[in-house]
Parts: sequence; structure tokens; C-alpha cells
Amino acid sequence: MTDLLEVRDLTKRFGGLTAVRNLGFSVSEGESLGLIGPNGAGKTTVFNLIMSELRQDSGELFFQGREISKYPTHARVKLGIARTYQVPRPFGEMTVTENIRMGMMPDDLWQMLTKGPQHDAERDIGKDVGFSEREVAMYPGELSMGNLRKLELARTIAAEPKLLLLDEVFAGLTVGEIAQISELLVEKRKQGLTYIMVSHDLRALAPLVDRVVVMSFGAIIAEGTFKEVIADKKVREAYLGQ
Amino acid sequence: MGVLVSLRWWLVFGVGMCLLPLVVSTGTLRILVFAQFLAIFAMSWDILSGRTGYISFGHPFLIGIAGYTTAMLTYHLGVPLYFSIPAAVVATMIGSIFFFIPALRTRGTYFAVVTLAFMEVLYHLMQVVQPKLTGGTRGLSGLPTIILGAVPNYYLSFGVMFVIGVGLWLLIRTRLGTALSTIRMDEDAARSSGLNTTKLKLFAFMLSAFVAGIGGALYTHYLGSIAPRGIFDISFLFSILIAALIGGAGTIVGPIMGAYFLTLLLEFLRPYLPGPERYLIYGAITLLAYYYAPKGFHNIFGLLWQRLGALGRRE
Repeated sequence: MTDLLEVRDLTKRFGGLTAVRNLGFSVSEGESLGLIGPNGAGKTTVFNLIMSELRQDSGELFFQGREISKYPTHARVKLGIARTYQVPRPFGEMTVTENIRMGMMPDDLWQMLTKGPQHDAERDIGKDVGFSEREVAMYPGELSMGNLRKLELARTIAAEPKLLLLDEVFAGLTVGEIAQISELLVEKRKQGLTYIMVSHDLRALAPLVDRVVVMSFGAIIAEGTFKEVIADKKVREAYLGQ
Repeated sequence: MGVLVSLRWWLVFGVGMCLLPLVVSTGTLRILVFAQFLAIFAMSWDILSGRTGYISFGHPFLIGIAGYTTAMLTYHLGVPLYFSIPAAVVATMIGSIFFFIPALRTRGTYFAVVTLAFMEVLYHLMQVVQPKLTGGTRGLSGLPTIILGAVPNYYLSFGVMFVIGVGLWLLIRTRLGTALSTIRMDEDAARSSGLNTTKLKLFAFMLSAFVAGIGGALYTHYLGSIAPRGIFDISFLFSILIAALIGGAGTIVGPIMGAYFLTLLLEFLRPYLPGPERYLIYGAITLLAYYYAPKGFHNIFGLLWQRLGALGRRE
């Protein structure tokens, strides 16, 4: 398998705090990677760096063999990287389908101006993630946390990503909602989607990932299968302080 | 279908306003000319600030560039209006790049203050730099007018306002219009949805400047004069802002409603309060309207229309 994303020696400092320290890992095409670690380990910062929402102090990022370190966020999305947020960030004044529409936008202003929305495709993506006919016309303010997470997923899926970054996609969800989203991810994976998943819900994460990278204080402390890293002494210490 | 239904309302509005000179005095038409210019400026503000959320406190800066460009070209060089007005629009669009650059780095209050500073800088520059060219504090007067008379000027200002209004209103209904509003809602999320927000903002700034340029140039020739105190004035700025906000920011129709309301309100108060105290009433009414209807008249009328529709269906 070829590397879809490669992170090399990534470092990010916020003043005196080093949030990410010489981080390096890669994800192969079709693989699913879990990125775990205690609070403040730097997982979301890594996502922000991959999406160019933050600029690294040093290190490089490669996507499909191309160096993307200087690419802005929207260019990375157009290349095929998309993310969800820990706290869902829907466009509050837009319906579910309009939110999905934003993920399907062309880069060209003229096309945005002259070509109308693809209503059927928007609805299909909405239904794909589990929205009912009634829910796709709703506004984010009317949706439950589970549905907001689904909306985040739908908007990112609409951008047709090759690599999806899922940040705490199970947070605040009921058992039923977790099962629903897990099922959707399994389905998307079968269709060839690669993803990196950050989650504190290790029970939900375990069956969905091939490999896990564990971070603590901005650095990788363990890497391997879920069973291997959970048995690792350093990981247990980082989580439990033993 | 929805667009067609609403275009019908534009048509009704257009026909109604075209027939107005048959029933109202020329004095009223002159007042309406000012309302229509204010509506053009408020729409220019709306497509930038109402849509993208980048609140401009310096729109007179753009209007001033247009006004001074066409004024200086016609006054000093005798350039014909059909050349000086497009030149003024182009100059305004180039000038808007000064607005755009801070928008790459600043947002919210900081951006608003930076734009306000632009207006102040131009106000002082126009008085002290090359006063022979700009007319200094007195400005330039005796500028050529496009057409003479209240009725032709009414039709000209209305026609321009109407075309701009329909054009912008159609634009905000496209995917491009929707994409512009994501910048106001959450610029970071817009970027992570794959939208090139820099390109979108540049478009909004250019379009806003284009409209401000047309309005500014025509307004200058309607007045026949231009002076720094008249253009780069805080109360002129507030009129634009209030018209857009009270009517309903981000809607294009709202700023038109707001402009007519504010202009007619001031004129309605004039016989009772001829002095500057009418601005107190004006301010109080604006405050109340904005306090109780923060989404503007556009929203109130929209809700009323929905209620009436629901009532009609029930019966």
C-alpha cells in the first residue's frame, strides 16, 4: 500500500508550550488510523496542522507523495483531505441540505454563479448519513448532538475526500447514535475511504481502526494495533498516571 | 418557482415607482432621489458587510474615491461623463484593494476600525494634498450634471437602484451568494469545507466597490459638487449603516426599505421639528426599531406575509 498521508518531524509551539514535538507517522490508502492520547496530548493540533488551520513551526506534510506544507486549507480539501470538528461547526442559518451544498462547491466563482445546486445529490448524501426526508430541511438549531455530528460527516463526505479526519466523532452521542455512525464509517471504508480518528471512546474506536498512534505531551509514545498499544506500559501510565 | 414569484414583486415595485411621478410633487421626487442614492450605498455596504460579516465603517472612503475621481476628471480636464463615470468606478474598485488587504489579517471590530481609519485619512488628504486639484476644504463645485430636472433624475436614480437591486438580489440566491454568507457564519468552517474564502472576499469587496463607485459618481454629478465634509462624514456613514441594518442586513431588499424609511422619516419630521432636534427622534426611532426588530423590516414583512398566507390557507 502507498502512503496517502505522510507527516514528517512536525513541530508546533504556542509560546513556551510545545504542543506537537517532532511528530512523524503515515497513513496508507484504505487504512484507518486511530490517534489517541490523554487530554492536551496535541491530537486536535495535529488535525489543525494537517488542515493548515495552524501552520507548523517545522516539519513537512506529504499527501499522495506531493508536499502540501504550504497549501492553504481549501486547497488541501480540494486535494482530498477533509475534517470534522470536536464541537460541530454547522452553518447555523442554513438547512441540512444547504450545509451539505457547501461541501460540494466548485472552486470556480463563475460555476458557483451559473450552476444551480444539485438538490438530489445533496439529499442523497443527507440520507446516506441517516437523515430522514424531514430532517434534511431542518436547521442546525433544531438538531440533536447526534444529528449535528452526522451533519458534519455529511458536509465532509460531500467534498468527496480521500482522507477524512474525524475529531471526537462519538462525543456526546448515545449508544444507538455511536452504532449508527460506526456503521456508516464501516460502509465508507468499504468504498475506499481512508480516515484518521481521534476519540476518547476507545471502546467505539477499537473495531474501526487498523492501527493506533498514541500521543502524550505532543509526542508519539506508542504505535501498533489497538491491543498492542493498550497493553503498553507507557500508554497506561499516560492515561492512568501509574 | 420561488424566484419567479419574488421577481413578480420586484416588477410590481418597479411599475409602482415608475408611476409615482404622476401622483406626487416634484419636491417629494427630489427627496426620493436621495433615498434611492442612499439605497445604492446601503446595498453596496450590504453585499460586503451584510453578507460576509466584514463590517465596513469606511464606505464613504469608496464613495469618495468615485466622487473625487469623476469630479476632478470633469472639472480640470473636461473629460465627458460617459468616460469619467466608468473611470471613477474602476478607481473605486482599485481603491477597494486597500480595504481588502486588512481583511486578510483582521476581522470583526479591528476590521471596522481599520476601515474607519481609511475614511478619516482620505478626509484629511483631500484637504491638504494638492488642494488645487481636490478643491481643498471647499471641494469642487459647478460639476456637470447628467440630466436636469426632478423627474428625469428620479427615473435615473430609481433605474440604477432597481437594476443594482435586482442584480444583487439574484446573485445572493445563487450558490455564490450562499458561499459568501458562510464567511459571516464561520470563516474557518467555510475554508475547511473547501471554499477559497480569500477569493470570495475579494469578489465581495470588488462588487461592493463597483456598486459604491456607480452610486458615488452619479451622486456627485446629481449634486453638482463634492466636498470632504459632505462625503467623509460620520453621519453619512451612519445613514448607510442604519439603512442597511434597520431594513435587514444581508437581504439586499432590506437596505432599500431602510433607505426609503429613513429618508422619508426625516422629511416627515421636518415640518414639526425643523432644527437638528429631529435627529434625536430619528435616532430614537432607529434605536427602537433595531432593538425590537434586530433582523430588520425585511424580516417583519416576511413573517407578516407568512402569517397572512397561513391565515388564508386556514380559511
